[in-house]
Amino acid sequence: MSPLIDLIEITKDYGRFRALDNVSLQINSGITGLLGPNGAGKTTLIKVLLGLVRTTRGSGRLLQYKLGRQNREIRAHVGYMPEDDCYLHGMTGVDCVQFVAQLSRFPAVEALRRAHEILDFCGLAQERYRTVETYSTGMRQKLRFAQAIVHDPPVLILDEPTSGLDPEERQVMLNRIRVLARDHGKAVLLCTHILPDVQSISDAVVILARGKVQVADSLAELNRPTMPSLEVRLLGVADRFVEAIRARGIDIEVRTTGGLLLKGEPDQLAPEVWKAANTLGVAVRSMTPSRNSLEEIFLNAVRGASQ
Amino acid sequence: MTANSTSGSTILEARSEPTSLPSNRGVNNLGYRPWSERLAPGWMRWCVITEVGVKRAWQSRWLRRMMLFAWLPAVWFGVGFFVWEQAALYPEWRQILQPFLQGLPQSPDFDGIRDSIKSGNLEESRHAVWAWLLQSFFRYPQAVLMVMVIGVISPPLISQDIRSRAFLLYFSRPLTRAEYLFGKLASLWAYLAIIATVPALALYLLGILLSPNLGVITATWDLPFRIIGASAVLMIPTSMLALCFSSLTQESRYAAFAWFAVWILGWFTYVTATSAEALKAGNNAYMSQAERMQAQHDQFEIKQSPWTHLSLYHTLGRVQRWVFGFARFEDVAVSAAILAAITLASLLTLYRKISAPMRV
Repeated sequence: MSPLIDLIEITKDYGRFRALDNVSLQINSGITGLLGPNGAGKTTLIKVLLGLVRTTRGSGRLLQYKLGRQNREIRAHVGYMPEDDCYLHGMTGVDCVQFVAQLSRFPAVEALRRAHEILDFCGLAQERYRTVETYSTGMRQKLRFAQAIVHDPPVLILDEPTSGLDPEERQVMLNRIRVLARDHGKAVLLCTHILPDVQSISDAVVILARGKVQVADSLAELNRPTMPSLEVRLLGVADRFVEAIRARGIDIEVRTTGGLLLKGEPDQLAPEVWKAANTLGVAVRSMTPSRNSLEEIFLNAVRGASQ
Repeated sequence: MTANSTSGSTILEARSEPTSLPSNRGVNNLGYRPWSERLAPGWMRWCVITEVGVKRAWQSRWLRRMMLFAWLPAVWFGVGFFVWEQAALYPEWRQILQPFLQGLPQSPDFDGIRDSIKSGNLEESRHAVWAWLLQSFFRYPQAVLMVMVIGVISPPLISQDIRSRAFLLYFSRPLTRAEYLFGKLASLWAYLAIIATVPALALYLLGILLSPNLGVITATWDLPFRIIGASAVLMIPTSMLALCFSSLTQESRYAAFAWFAVWILGWFTYVTATSAEALKAGNNAYMSQAERMQAQHDQFEIKQSPWTHLSLYHTLGRVQRWVFGFARFEDVAVSAAILAAITLASLLTLYRKISAPMRV
């Protein structure tokens, strides 16, 4: 299957500053987290995808449309939720969503009906009849999300969709994104600084730093540790358990966080852990195959770029 | 409650029902559903921007008041059409026309009208009189009203989009900058057409209805086109300039200030400069009544003076004179070039300012 977004050696210069440097990238359906420190080129990449800025060099494709040549077709098939607060002054929430639906060629009545439907999906209840200026940060976030999805685009570009939301609303927003990707087949490019959001819902991750792609892979692949191991947490003192495991010839490391790291294939280690726990009468709180944390991956990528 | 109940209390109860909707209940809660219905034509996008622009402008109490009085001048000029046509039909009405002779500018263009009134052959100068009435309608009340209407509508049109960063909302959609701009301009043109083009066409229609036969149409067929031409002269450069001011700032009041400053300063510069020239030419204490009227008229009307082009009002007026056939193009070429330059410069500035937020 051909990728939904295919970029080939995209370079974008703003005068002497190179915002994107030879970016080649393939993004498939599902949720892709786009990560990077401030000034990494994420926003420029989004603008390139939307055809809002011209590339200095390189070519690309979004769905079957060529970047830079078929910008209108691309924008018709992309839902973009900007990070910045942007709204139409003096209009109510429902008017705003109806307006952007009409800009996407919805007939007026259908745009109104669809606006209500989408505002319900996004959790904006009677507030929709208030002018946007009176909205809280969270409400504006939901409104921007509604505007991005109202025209049922196959590709969604969401820039910081959960910033400014309380923890409960953040989870609800992530669930909405998950529903759109899983149940409605949307390809989502999730641009955020909140790594746990990417960890919890993304299928793949792209890390940009200094205008270059540092990492681009599936999250499952990235999480897989270079050395297979098993993380075990016990209830109570673990000294006897550690001795018992070592006696079985297994390399074990006591972590400062209190956990135990057993090096080896998790499938082979697990029976040994249960045997030792049964023999010593130790309660096992958790046992999970260890994985690389996204934070670690991100920091390594950023450090690698700055060296 | 039944649908066919007609008692007053029942109607009140029925109307109160939706307000009791709990705040957590959706209005149209169907979950997310894909969309596969037929879409509207793509060229309609600018209409959406225009529609929103018109609706938002209508929220201004000042604009509503202005629109209420916008057609009053048309009534005055309608009386002019009526009196002329009555005079053409009934000789006794010609006495009423005599005082209006003094109001005509002392220009060779109007000698034909004077002669036809004196000779009683009004049919000959119908075209010239209608054109003069229509030109005066555009030139005096509606031009001033246009300045005020644009001054109320245009300042927030783009400046508010800049302040609220709405550009991202517009241009992340399949919308070109030209469509955005045209949509904004059209919302201004809609109001200007209501205060200028539509009443002028209505005046023309009134003239046709009052005239003795439909043969008048063949004699005056060009006037509707001249009305549209005069409307274009009135609307295009002014709306471009007004939007240009709006695009230069995030604060609507600065754009409004710049707009009114251009007209007021230009007007006073022109009047001051031409009055000084008149004083230099002779002492107005010895002016006759006709000369005094001409001097007053000259404050509005256009003299061959290099200062004319400092006033946008008078520059517009010169071109409108040509549109209605009271001047040769050679005489107004500089004014037309100035208006074209204002339009072009405003358009370039607008494109640049609209594109600017995207480039960062």
